Order: sequence, then C-alpha cells, then structure tokens
Amino acid sequence: MPAQTHPAERLLNLVIALVNTAGRLTKEQIRSTVAGYADAPTRDAFERMFERDKDALRELGIPILTVAGSGHSDDVGYRVDQEAYALPAVELTAGELGVLSLAGQFWQDKSLRTDAQRALTKLRAVGTAPVGTDLVAGLAPRVRAAGDAFGPLLDAVQARQVVTFTYRAASTGDVLDRTLEPWRLLARGGGWYVVGRDRDRGAPRSFRLSRIEGRVRPVGEPGSFEIPANLDAAAIVGGSSSERVRLATLALRPERASALRVRAVEDGAAVHHDDDDDDHAADLADLADLADPRLAPLLAHRDVVQVPFAGIGDLADEVAGYADAVVVLAPPDLRVAVLCRLRAAAALDAAPATGGSGG
Amino acid sequence: MAERATDRLLRMLGMITYLDRHAGVPVEQLAEQFGVSTRQVVEDIDTLWVTGTPGYWPHDLIDFDAASYDEGVVRLVESRGMTRPLRLGTREAVALIAALRAMRAALAPGLDAGRAAVLTSALDKLTAATGEAAAAVDVRLAVEGAPAVIAALGEALSSARRLRLRYVTAADVASVRDVDPIRLLTSDEHSYLQAWCYRAGDERLFRVDRVLEAEVLDAPAAAHAVTAHAATFAPGPDDELVTLELASRARWIAEQVPVESVENLPDGAFRVALRVADPAWLRHLLLQTAREVLAVTPARVAADAARAARAALAAYGELAVDGEPARPVA
Repeated sequence: MPAQTHPAERLLNLVIALVNTAGRLTKEQIRSTVAGYADAPTRDAFERMFERDKDALRELGIPILTVAGSGHSDDVGYRVDQEAYALPAVELTAGELGVLSLAGQFWQDKSLRTDAQRALTKLRAVGTAPVGTDLVAGLAPRVRAAGDAFGPLLDAVQARQVVTFTYRAASTGDVLDRTLEPWRLLARGGGWYVVGRDRDRGAPRSFRLSRIEGRVRPVGEPGSFEIPANLDAAAIVGGSSSERVRLATLALRPERASALRVRAVEDGAAVHHDDDDDDHAADLADLADLADPRLAPLLAHRDVVQVPFAGIGDLADEVAGYADAVVVLAPPDLRVAVLCRLRAAAALDAAPATGGSGG
Repeated sequence: MAERATDRLLRMLGMITYLDRHAGVPVEQLAEQFGVSTRQVVEDIDTLWVTGTPGYWPHDLIDFDAASYDEGVVRLVESRGMTRPLRLGTREAVALIAALRAMRAALAPGLDAGRAAVLTSALDKLTAATGEAAAAVDVRLAVEGAPAVIAALGEALSSARRLRLRYVTAADVASVRDVDPIRLLTSDEHSYLQAWCYRAGDERLFRVDRVLEAEVLDAPAAAHAVTAHAATFAPGPDDELVTLELASRARWIAEQVPVESVENLPDGAFRVALRVADPAWLRHLLLQTAREVLAVTPARVAADAARAARAALAAYGELAVDGEPARPVA
C-alpha cells in the first residue's frame, strides 16, 4: 500500500463518496471508508484533515450539506446537494472558450485570477473542442491588482452586508473610520473604487481601495440594504464622462508637444454637434480672439491648435508639464489653472521647504 | 512545479464531464483542452482510474477502456455518477463576466464582426448559466488613441504585418520607427503596443495615445517570442534616486508611479522615493504637482523644474495676469 495518498486523489474520493451516498456520511464513516483518510494517524489529525478538505471543496463551489442525524449531537453527516452541484446546461464553442481563456488572463489580482482560472477549468469541461487561440491573437487586456480590500468588499456587495474600514482621504489627509453599504466595485483610469451609501453621511460616496488602511470588516446581517436599481456608479466616482467637452486654444513651439497636436481638431465646430444653444454659446466664448494684440508675440513663433478637453485639472496638469513649449491662449480658466501650477513650480527652489506651504 | 491539489481536483472532475460528452478523446486533445501537458493528462487519468466510491472494488471505480488507452485514446467506461459539470461559484462568475464585459466594451469596436459576435455569445451564455450576479464589478478599459491609429494597429496584428510608427516619448521627443507588432496590452489605465522595434533593436512598449501616426507596411512581421512584459515601464536600479515629500492631494503619485518606497508623514503628507531614468519625465511630474510638493532631494532637481517654470511664465508675457482678462467686445 502506498505511504501517502495524493491530496487531490483524497479530495476526489471524498467528492465521489458524498455525491453517491444514499443519505449521508458521518465523519466516522468517512474516516473508515473513504480512501486517503486512513493516512491520518490520530483522531485529531483526521479532524483537521477533514475540516480542511471540507472547506477546500466548498471554496471550489461544491455544495456540501451538513445533515443532522436523529440521535445525539455527534451524529452529524454530510452529503453533496445534487440540486446545487451542476452548472445549467451550456455548450461552448472553441471560439467562445478562446475568448474565455483571454478573460481568464484579465486580472493581475491574485485572488481574482484564481477565481477566473477555476471558472475556466469548469467551463472547459463543456467546451466542444480544444481551444483555438487565433481568434484573440494579439490582444492582451489586463487590469491591475485591487489589493486586499477587494475580496471582502466583493463578498459584502454580493451579500448586501454593511462594512467598516479605516480610510485616508486624499483631499484632507484625514484618517477616519467609515461605515458603508457597498453597492459596486469599479476600475477606472488605473484605480479601483467601491461605491455605496456612507452611513455616517447618509449619502452615496466612492472610496479608492488603495486608500483603505487595514482590514475591511463586515458588520451586521447579510441582506441589510438594497442596491439602487438605476445605480450610476461611475457618476458617483466622478469620472470626467459627464463633463461637457470644451475647446482649448494652445500655442505650441514648433516640433514640440506632438501628443497634444495629435488630439487637435481642425474645426472647433466638430465638438459642438450635440449641444443645445446655451452650451454652444458658452463654447464659442471659450475660443481665443487671435486678433488680441497681446497674443502677437506668441503667434509669431508658434503653431496654434485647438484641443478638446473635459476636465480642466487633467489638461492643466498636462500643459504645465510641457513648460514653455505650450502656452494657453484660451479659455481663461484653463490658463489660470496652468499659471497657478507654474508659479508653484517656479518657487520650488526658493527656500528649503520645512513643512509649510510656500508663497 | 507544485500544482495546488484543488486545481488538479477541478481539472480531473472536468475531464470526467468532458470525456462523458466526447467518446474517445486522444490524450493530446485532452491536454490541449485543459491547457496542460500530455504527461499531466496521463497522471490525471491514472489517478481517476483508482478513485471511486467506498469499497473500491473494481465495479466501484471510475473506469476507462484499457485497450483504447494503450493506443493513446481516452474512452470513459464508468463515471460513478460524476458526469455533470460543476456550477461556477459567485466570485468565479464575477471574475469572468466582468472581464468579458470590459473586453466587449473596449475591444469590440476594433474587432471584425465575426470576432465581436463570439465575444458577445460567450458573454451571453455565461450570463445565462450563472445568473446576473456579476453586476457587482464594473471595469472600464482605457482605449485611448486616434481611431486611425487603433485601426492600423488592429490590422497589423491580425494580418501579421510590419508597422511604421511616428511616436512621441513622455519626454516629448518624436521619432519614426519600424516595428513588428507582438500584441496590444489594454489596461484600465493606458493601452500599450508591445512590439519589436528595429530602431532600438529590442522589444519596446509604445503607449497607444502617443502613437502619432501608424502605417501598415507590406512587409510581413517577423516572429518574435512574446516575453511576459510588465504593462508599465520599470526603472532600473542604476537610475537616480529622487525623494519627494508631497501633500495628501498628490497621493495618486504613490499609487500610479512605480515608487521604491512610501512613508506616511503627519497631516496626510507622505514621502516617496523613486528611481528616475529620464530627467525630462521628472520635470514634467514636478511641474504638474508643484502645488503639492513640500520637499525635493536632491535640490538640483527642484532647481531644474523651477527654471523651466520661470521660462514658461516668461513665455506668457502679458497673458500671465491673474483673473479674467478683459475680453474685447464683439
């Protein structure tokens, strides 16, 4: 007899036994009859082995029911819930499995990747033929890891269970405990967010997962809140998607800022197409008056381009980064935002910063 | 390489289901279907063959046709009631469906109709088989870049042809280079073309929104091994180490720039150490975030950014006045 049964073989024997049992199997029956459990030298070792195996099988989605016996409390048995075991009828073509394989590579996050790979193994069983990868050749979508907070938050969203966590607000630097009814997890622009109802503020809020410090703890009962039916989670995170598109008029030094040039539009009218009259008027007011005599020295040696933008802050950051290669002619609020950044940067070598803000 | 017992268990259960649906499957095909070596398939089948229901007499065991197996074809004879496919757990369904949804939203416009339809049918079947649990996670991939550029990259990848790119670096230096496309890395932050660059004589990542023009050439792309490249650039240990102390609002730097270390300071401020390969890139970063910068080491890095900022302010001339400038009346 071999010294030690491979754990996968023992787990497989346990699944087959629990699927095939007429009623239930008690721990004692499992220890004495299921191949692999005789390897446990003591009662305690068996208990640990069995508990670990039971948890592992449930983690894989195998529904193990605990069935109470008629006698005393030790008389507990187990079986697999046949109803909940099986995947609904589905057949996947080779092409569909190819796409699913690509989806299985999607997550950089270790736990999500494990989940996706397990799902894929299960689905390969109902595929028609080996995977053809040519369908998705050359594509590699990837999403960065979400961190330790992701798993507990996802579980809480699914269970509709309130959570608490410690959060460092970037706007103020405050570190506070928050209590949240989590509705949805979002990945946008390189960051992961959880959106939900902040119980202390009584309003929807979004939190960036990387700013959650320590553990996310569920509190209270599952099913303790409802997720709004018409949830616009992206709007709560505050993406630029809902902002109106405006036009910036920029004066570029020759050969410079090609990344801005490539986004330039020929005719400013192109971005106005869906706007109503009021917005249209506002957009026209954004345009630079190139006859303004103050612009003459700039126009002499620079190319003028018009670049659509949605968020002032993002474009101001980008333009400030180019230093003297890009000058904002219009709109004035964008120019003020860029000048504000440049003035702060011009003071960077003014005095050794000792913790306060400069002038 | 030690595989987790649970992963192996799932595969062996999947094999029974698959073999029940396909009578007589060559070992090679089984290996391809489950993405493992033929040796692993043989190990799995050998294990399956000795498992079964308690008692473990011959009629209790999972059984295969031995004669057929000798010829390298796996034929299931007895399944011990294990033929039904295992359902997906909630998190497993979420992981795949959220990925497929993001891929469809981002990639389908660049795919031909046939490939886009497969993406949609995979998503529909999976959603039908698992319920609607997957709304919990919503991912948007960043597909930025000029439509003509994205179309050219897609065409070159699918037809395996060489590309001529006009590309501008983060330091604002533009150049023209011929590349063999390897793959398109789409992420939630940026998209990159991984390609063999003939100018560099090496593999490079090109950020798609900095590809100014892309022309598909007639020359076929040469074959290049795909390396497991990180999606973003990683600075080397020889690059200059710069330390920044930043106010809380600049927290994104600690999150999005590959930093060596992050240390929290009082009042939400923090200190990061980063390796800088390109001084122009750091100048760009300091100009953007100067309002949040509390200290910079070494000092000449701060002086360099300040000089650039003063030159920029000088360029504005009369326009560098606060408030709303007077607007000529139309």
